[in-house]
Amino acid sequence: MIAELVQHLVNGLILGGGYALMGIGLTLIFGIMRVVNFAHGELFMLGAFFLYTLFSLWGVNFFAACLLAVAGVALVGAVVERLILRRLRDQPIEIPMLAMVALSVIIQNAAILVWDPSPKTIRHPFSPVPLTLGPIHVVAIRVFAGAVAVALIAGAHLFIQKTRLGRAMRATFQDTDMARLTGVDVDRIYMFTFGFGAALAGASGALLGAVFWVYPAMGDLAALKSFAVVIMGGLGNFLGAIVGGLLLGVAESLGAGYISSGYKDAIGFVLIILLLVWRPQGLFGAKGVQR
Amino acid sequence: MNAKALVAAASAALLLALPLLGVDDYYLHLLIMAGIFFLLSAGMNLLLAAGQLNLGHTAFFGIGAYASGLLALHFGLSPVFALPAAALVSAVVGWLLGMVTLRLRGAYFVLVTVGFAEVIRLVATNWTELTQGPMGLAGVPPFNLGTERFTLTGKRDFYYFMLSLAGATLWVTARLLRSRVGRALRAVRENESLAESSGISAYRHTMLAMVVSCLLAGAAGGFYAHYITFLSPELFGFQNTVTMAVMVVAGGQGTVLGPAVGALVFTFVPELLRMAAFYRMLLYGAILLLVVMFMPKGLVFYLRRLLPAGVPAFAEPAPDSALFEAGAAAPVAGPALSVRDVTVRFGGLAAVDGLSLDLGRGEILALIGPNGAGKSTAFNVVTGFQAPDAGRVRFGDGDITAQPPYRIAERGLVRMFQRTSLFPEAAVLENVLTACHRLARTGLGDVLLMTRSHRLEEHRLEERARALLAFVGLGHKSGEPARSLSCGEQRLLGLAIALAPAPSVLLLDEPAAGLNAVETERLMRLIEEIRARGLSVLLVEHDMKLVMGMCDRVVVLNYGLKIAEGTPAEIQRHAEVIRAYLGSGDALARP
Repeated sequence: MIAELVQHLVNGLILGGGYALMGIGLTLIFGIMRVVNFAHGELFMLGAFFLYTLFSLWGVNFFAACLLAVAGVALVGAVVERLILRRLRDQPIEIPMLAMVALSVIIQNAAILVWDPSPKTIRHPFSPVPLTLGPIHVVAIRVFAGAVAVALIAGAHLFIQKTRLGRAMRATFQDTDMARLTGVDVDRIYMFTFGFGAALAGASGALLGAVFWVYPAMGDLAALKSFAVVIMGGLGNFLGAIVGGLLLGVAESLGAGYISSGYKDAIGFVLIILLLVWRPQGLFGAKGVQR
Repeated sequence: MNAKALVAAASAALLLALPLLGVDDYYLHLLIMAGIFFLLSAGMNLLLAAGQLNLGHTAFFGIGAYASGLLALHFGLSPVFALPAAALVSAVVGWLLGMVTLRLRGAYFVLVTVGFAEVIRLVATNWTELTQGPMGLAGVPPFNLGTERFTLTGKRDFYYFMLSLAGATLWVTARLLRSRVGRALRAVRENESLAESSGISAYRHTMLAMVVSCLLAGAAGGFYAHYITFLSPELFGFQNTVTMAVMVVAGGQGTVLGPAVGALVFTFVPELLRMAAFYRMLLYGAILLLVVMFMPKGLVFYLRRLLPAGVPAFAEPAPDSALFEAGAAAPVAGPALSVRDVTVRFGGLAAVDGLSLDLGRGEILALIGPNGAGKSTAFNVVTGFQAPDAGRVRFGDGDITAQPPYRIAERGLVRMFQRTSLFPEAAVLENVLTACHRLARTGLGDVLLMTRSHRLEEHRLEERARALLAFVGLGHKSGEPARSLSCGEQRLLGLAIALAPAPSVLLLDEPAAGLNAVETERLMRLIEEIRARGLSVLLVEHDMKLVMGMCDRVVVLNYGLKIAEGTPAEIQRHAEVIRAYLGSGDALARP
């Protein structure tokens, strides 16, 4: 019984690491740019497909392919900011939001044309034999995915807290005009933020893509999950995204194990709606956040 | 007949005549689908007028479809009854969801509604006993009135049925958007605090929009169920909502005709794209992106430009005598407003500490003090934007402590905000008209049916708004957008907005801030005039010329504490007041 519970917890935390990565990207983009990135799921999917192409099709070393895939998604993100979002900065919030919805339609259908819709697996170099610790079994690729997620989350946190660029991002987050007055190149920060957020989504996609399957629509559910994560954690709240991600991963893992796997994907939003009934002012004091 | 009415009449005639012109069934089908999507996008547009984008709208479409289909299949209910029942079911679900989510704003509301639709989709997929899950629900009966003769069979029958539904939808949304309901919704979107302080409840109005939009979506779903006769969980797919949102934005959000134009265009465009075969969805996405990026105002905006401009805004001269009724003074004696022992703490800091003050009837009372003394916090407590930790606020004969701002405004206590005192995108006249909201007496039925009493009332309110604009000297600007006014003019408009709900007590937060000497002079005369009409005025002000020159009494705050109260002359000699202002006696120099 206990072993089963711990097994669910471990699986949930590994999954939650991926959700947290997605959520951090989404929350940073919203916090700094006031853009709800509806193309986040497609950036996630691109991370997985870039890895698949580089590693499975072109035979690049797995770890190098991971790095290149993430860099590629970051580049896509920066281009999207430069070509689309920068032009829509003064529009009401629903306009960039719908632009990102349109972009997600484009990217997903382009992926169908380029890679065809059938699910693919990535034959990663890790042994398929589970690592065993007492009654707990975890395959190596999952341990790798979990460890990389933790490292990336910690890295992102340190980056934002300790570096000059991170400080400029935080300044822009708090007050864009003030940041601009003190010499922060806000255009560059926006471009970097979207690229950075995209990279985190791409990394999450590459990791989970290596664990599960890779297919053009894989981002749909992932995006929905990351929306749940950021609402739970508070839009724009970095730590909230981490907590929300891990919470959702664990809740889903337990829910699938003990309640029903059919409704697993609804758990996040059911939690949110229950929380809203209980705390109508919003979660994590979300009341102050307006459009 | 002007060009607009001509185009409208021609379009209506064309839509009515189409099936008789031998149009192919395929095109009639597309028009019917466009009609379904018009019902959906019109509802979405209504809620978006208040700034709330429901990206889970398709859930209500699906709920309506399944409700109507299941009622007809399992209970043998005639679709004639199943469809309205389904619309009601959908509206009730919308009401329940609204209770939970309408306190959320902006992105939070959007994301929670997206999630709601996904949850409903999963329920429809997994509750196979009820819905047959992904297999779908086949064999939903088509429309009939119980007898063979009244069964809708051909496309033409369905077309006319849909046309009447769409016509009704157009009427309802037009009535709502072009009446005080629409003004209230737009006010909530543009400046929620000001809307609330003008007596408009953001929650009630967004809820009304939500329920109506879900009712329409449910009706669209019910129609769909008995038209297509096959239902699947695909109805709940995000793609459907995206289509609706694109129709709203591409057509022209906030406009009455936008969703109709958007629904027509974006039903036919994907059909044309079928030629592109594999590239269809890619092209579709690209078109969406281009439309959103380069036509964010919507097609209606550009189509309107093609029409010759109508008669320029009302040429009638502004009313010469600015007659406006003040709020009825409560018959009870005693102060107009009384604050007792109010304390507000932020963390360990007491921003307002045991403040008591009385505002006499017809009095002008100033609340002054150095920056951070707690003046604005005191204002927020009185107007319901901040609940006090202790103390009471009485207004007239009632206790208004911690009541919602719109209730306090409804009672006749209205504030003017310091900076954000207007609805920037709306025209000047509409700004004032919006704030007249609480004076409206006709009900929703009158609004929808455009009864005579409603029209008379709208006319009366407009007269009032014009008189108020003439009173503050902005009569000539009534057609311009509020954001284009100068700083001084914006302040005057703010004053007109604050007077619009016919308050008996007016709270002014630094009305003279940023005004030059001439403008301040004019403002002072206006305030005097307002008092002469029986209103009581409480104001926070730094301009000592204004405070000392026209106020009857002055209350001085420092660090949340009341340190002095008296006539301007007494205050100017008050030792502690002079100390509080850093010992600079000249700050209180005589005008």
